[in-house]
Amino acid sequence: MEDCVMIRLGAEPSKMREIELDDVFMSRLQLLIIMSKAYLSGFPLGSHRIKSILENANHVKLEAVGLEEDLEWFAKDVAFNDTLGFDSAFYQRVKLLSVMAEAIAKGHDLENHKKEALEKNLNALCESITFNKQVSDMQFLKVA
Amino acid sequence: MKIAVIDADPIVRDFVVGTLMYSVNRDVLPFENGLDAWMYFEDEGVPDIIVADVNLEDLTGTELLDKVKGFKRDTVVIFYSDLPEKEAMVKEAGADAFLAKPFGVSELFNLVQRFVVEDRSSN
Repeated sequence: MEDCVMIRLGAEPSKMREIELDDVFMSRLQLLIIMSKAYLSGFPLGSHRIKSILENANHVKLEAVGLEEDLEWFAKDVAFNDTLGFDSAFYQRVKLLSVMAEAIAKGHDLENHKKEALEKNLNALCESITFNKQVSDMQFLKVA
Repeated sequence: MKIAVIDADPIVRDFVVGTLMYSVNRDVLPFENGLDAWMYFEDEGVPDIIVADVNLEDLTGTELLDKVKGFKRDTVVIFYSDLPEKEAMVKEAGADAFLAKPFGVSELFNLVQRFVVEDRSSN
């Protein structure tokens, strides 16, 4: 048997488990945030990136609509938090991000005030999910 | 650069495909099982990178690994699983990387950095 070095990433052995729907929603939301930050940083798009943004934005939007409906069904109080720890306002922000990301992918050039609104929305979402990934760390996104 | 993702679970598969497609801005080939993937590779050529669930139907992950490495030794084969005991098994079989579930965007970006960016710059 040859001596090979295998890279290991992901959960610790004691924390390994199946990927649940909530995990995929959170991962897709993080990806959508990175996609939007990359746009604001002026990183190039390409045909496959555009396709990926549209698909991801659609997934996140549909899931956010479903989760928000669940939230409304369980509680009339808008400040109520669901099992993921989010309230109705959070899902409104997620849906807004999805719509803005779709607009970016469809080639609509956002005016400055819309870019500011996007940045404000991203900051609020990052605060809610304690996510602070910097796109500047991802050099490969600078190449289309 | 050709990349394939093999997983019977469409929710995880689509997420992995979408993340990799965005990262490299290239098409990423999705497959539901190992046999379909291998039949495609025989006709169209083995990809440069294969990301797959260890628990594949028809053709297991390690069987696919043997075939792929026998055909194109420098193809990078990355497996993922929710079972800790699979890690040693795929290491013994010669996999290049193991992703322990649950994983997310960061882990997939790390794979791109390691096997696309760094490998390309070292060649």
